[in-house]
Order: sequence, then structure tokens, then C-alpha cells
Amino acid sequence: MTKDESLSGYNDRAKTIGLLAIVAFGLITAALLAGWIDTRRPAADPNVVDESLYLKGQTARRLSLSFSGLAADWYWMRSLQYVGGKIVNMPENVVFDNLEQLNLKLLPSLLDTATTLDPEFFQPYEYAAAVLPAVDVNEAIRIVQKGSAANPSNWRLYQHLGYLYWQKQDYKSAAEAYGNGAQIPGAPQWMQAMKARMLADGGSRSTAREIYLRMYEQSTDNNIRTMARHHVFQIDAADQLEVLQKVLAEFQTRNGRCTSGWKELQSELRTLQMPIDSTGAPVDPSGAPYVLATNCQVQLSPTSEVPAK
Amino acid sequence: MLGRILAIAHNTFREAVRDRVLYNLVLFVLLLTGAAIFIGELSGGQERKIIVDLGLSAMLLFGVFIAIFVGVGLVYKEIERRTVYSIFSKPVGRGEFIVGKYLGLCLTLLVNVIVMGAGVSLALVYVSRGWDPMIPGIWPAVLLIYVELMILTGVTLLFSSFSSPALSALLTFFVFIIGHFSADLKSLASSMGSAGARWLFTGLYYLVPNLSNYSFITPAAHGRTPEPAFVMAAIVYALIYITVILAAATLVFSKRNFK
Repeated sequence: MTKDESLSGYNDRAKTIGLLAIVAFGLITAALLAGWIDTRRPAADPNVVDESLYLKGQTARRLSLSFSGLAADWYWMRSLQYVGGKIVNMPENVVFDNLEQLNLKLLPSLLDTATTLDPEFFQPYEYAAAVLPAVDVNEAIRIVQKGSAANPSNWRLYQHLGYLYWQKQDYKSAAEAYGNGAQIPGAPQWMQAMKARMLADGGSRSTAREIYLRMYEQSTDNNIRTMARHHVFQIDAADQLEVLQKVLAEFQTRNGRCTSGWKELQSELRTLQMPIDSTGAPVDPSGAPYVLATNCQVQLSPTSEVPAK
Repeated sequence: MLGRILAIAHNTFREAVRDRVLYNLVLFVLLLTGAAIFIGELSGGQERKIIVDLGLSAMLLFGVFIAIFVGVGLVYKEIERRTVYSIFSKPVGRGEFIVGKYLGLCLTLLVNVIVMGAGVSLALVYVSRGWDPMIPGIWPAVLLIYVELMILTGVTLLFSSFSSPALSALLTFFVFIIGHFSADLKSLASSMGSAGARWLFTGLYYLVPNLSNYSFITPAAHGRTPEPAFVMAAIVYALIYITVILAAATLVFSKRNFK
């Protein structure tokens, strides 16, 4: 190798290293600068964040050409991020089916657009039925009705419609929804039974238990299953609390004082066949022991999974 | 004649491979791999649907870009490099040249689409942790996407036989957009008051290929497949359309002087 060739090779390597250094330095500087700009950006105005969507569902559908399914996925994920973002920013715990405090103004439009873009997309309908009643129950009904019109063979949309009407205490419409769903081939027998139950006993606790049990069985969405499970717990706990309160009142009548502990009530608890823990305290559906309060009252343990309200 | 067409098609395919057109597959694989791994956290249990929507949409989009941006250069590059003169100094007809170029690009797109379809299938296997019943269901949609790309390739070739690459790309892109609005053209025609406007929009509806016939991405993501009769009719429609376009392209190209 001549001296000139060696010098030229050295120059080439130096040039390559120099260019690589510029690329690396430039990227690092740009990233640092972007981070600095982010910290100085004024906080987003919540009113702007909740601004209505630029595109309505039908317009978005036309503009999406062949990509309407992908656009629907985008709006669906945006719905989840929108709710998730609001939950994360809330200081206290929120219950999945009572998100009223989150001010989810944009959620109906997001779910409506997702279902207009892809009318067969079941998850947004189910989500609308579970979450939207806290925001706008009529909008939830409209979206689920749109879903049942677009998917006439999907009985589960009628199940959700019945649930929404039941929440509105419109038992006649709820019965009608369950009845319509029951007509669909493949619908389970209990849909017909729910129709009768709505008409006869729509406002009862046992009907509520049945509704949430069926929702728990049918849903594949973990949030909805957890919500339904908590409701079943809540209803069962309400029944148990009533019974326990009665036992405590009878004890007070018999002895002229409140019970000093669950040990004194073992025979009554055995008669009631209530599950008890190792200390002899009856346990709620989530497995937490009931707590004796002052004035002969019984209440849920603070560690209980059963929602208090 | 067939031998000459196949030779041109083979060369066009080789040129596309040499031009690294198939490198888009790397991007596609990265996109799908990323989606398969990360989408589960964002989609609320809808990863299978999103994989199919994303995979097939990317397949169509990448295919459209290849059909347009490679297609516009097929004829133009030969003229620019003056290789067209040496081709036509041999016993090669203008029609053979156009059809050969067309088939070469269609072959490139076929390889692209098959590899992408296999990629989507593998991504489904990954997210389902095994065989997924949706896998056979995506292939009719893949076939329809390919047929749509065949039509667009023909349209690109037609435009590039008489105009510049930029204008050809723009016009083909318009055809792609309008082709998906065919149903609107028809309803627009029926809602028009004047007979002239009705004729115009009805004429446009029949003139522009109805590409919405090939939109089966969203149903495929729900595990639905088109009726075989529908697929057959869509293919026959495409073949007729492609024949017309290639004939028109040959006609226009024949009028150009390369002597």
C-alpha cells in the first residue's frame, strides 16, 4: 500500500467517524431539546382535550376508503386511552361502571365513530353498555340499538340493551329487548326467562343478581367481568347484611345488650349456613370477615373487595 | 409471442428486485412484529382483529405505493434510458412490451402479497399461541387485495404510456380514491336533477373501476369470508377491466414514435 492510499484510507475512516458522530450528536441533542420543550409546554386545556371530534362517524367512514376497520381500531384504542388517562389522573379509586366523576364527554363520540366505521365491532358496543350509562344512558342505548340493527343475529347486543333499559328502570322496554334477543337462533334459554322476570319483578335484587351473573358469564372483557362480579358480591352482601342484622337484633332483644363478638352467635350462624373464617366471623362474598360496629350494627370490612355503594 | 412477453415480465421482476422494491417487506415485518407484541396492552383484548386490520391494510397501502411508484417508471425509464429503441429494434410488439411490463410488476406484487399474507398468518399464530381459525379466512381478502392491485397497476401503466411519471402517479392515485367512492357516484347520479349531470356521474361510475368490490379487510377481521361466487365475479370484472386498460395502453403507446 502506498503512502497516498494509506492517507486516503485514513481520511475515509475519519470522514465516516465524523459523520456518525454528527448523526449521534444530532439525535441526542434533538431528543434532549424535545424533552426540554415538553417540560415548558403549557398544560393542556381540559376543554380542548374534550373537544368534540373533527370527523363524525359517517364522514370518517367515507374518508377511510378500504381502511375503515383499521380506523375503527384506532378510535377503539383511543376510547380506552381516553378513559384510562382520566382514571390515572384521578386522585381516588374509581369504579368501572360509575365513571361519572371523570367527565367523559368525548367517550360517546369515540365509541359512536368506532362502531360507525366498523358496525360489526362488538367490543365498543359492550363497552358503551357498561361505561356510558354513567355519562349518558340514552346515548348508550342509541349506540347499542345501532349495533343490534347492524348485527341482527347477535343476541348479546339485546342482552346489553335489556341491561341499559333495566338501569333506567324501564322494565317494559328491558323485557322487550330480552324477548327480541331470545328470538335469535343460538340465544340461550335464560333470555326468555329474563323477559318474564323483567315484567314480573324488574326492580328486585334477585333480578339484579341474575343480570350481573349473566354478564359475568358472557363477557370476555376483564373490566366488565370484574364490574359484574363486584355487583354480584354487592347484592349477595346486601342479602347477608340483612340476615346478620336480624340475628344481631334478636340477640339484643333476648339479652338486653349487643353481642360482644361473633363467638356468641356461632349456633345462629351455623343454622344460617353462613361461611365463617377461623375466628368465627361470617365472611362476605369476597372472603373478608364482616365487622361488628357499635350500636349492634354489622358492616363490611375496610379490606373487603365488595364495593360499599 | 408468449416467450417474448414472459422474457420482458421476467426482466421487469428482476429489475424490481434489483431496485430493492421488496425491501418494503422488512418494514412490514417490523410493523407486524411490533403490533403483535405491543398491541395486546392497548387493544382491550382485540389484538387478533387489529393484527388482521393492520396487516391487510398495510398490505394494500404498500401494494398501492409499489403499483403507483414502480408502475409509473416502467415505461418512462425505458424511454429515458433509450433502451426502448433497442427493444423495438428486435421483433417485439408494443402490446407485448406493455403486457410484459404489466405481468412483471404483477409478479413483484404477488410475491409481496404472499409474503405479507404469510406474515399476518404468523402474527395471528403468535397472538393466539397456536393455530388461529381466522388464518384461512384472511386469504380470500388477500386475493381480493391482489386483484385490486392488478387493476391499479394496469391503470398506472395506461397513464404512464402517455404522460409524465408525476402526473401518472397523481392520476392513478385519484382513480384509487374515486374507485372507492363508486357507490357514492351512483347515488349522486340518481339524486341529480339535470339529465346531463346524471349521465356524467353514471358514466363515471361505469368508467372508473369499482374498487369497493375488493374491500374485504374489515369483514376478514371478523372472520367473515366473501361468497365464492362474489370473488369469482370480482375477478372476472377485474380481468375484463385489465384487458380494456392494457388494450388502451397499447393503443396509446403504439402511436408514440420511437424510430
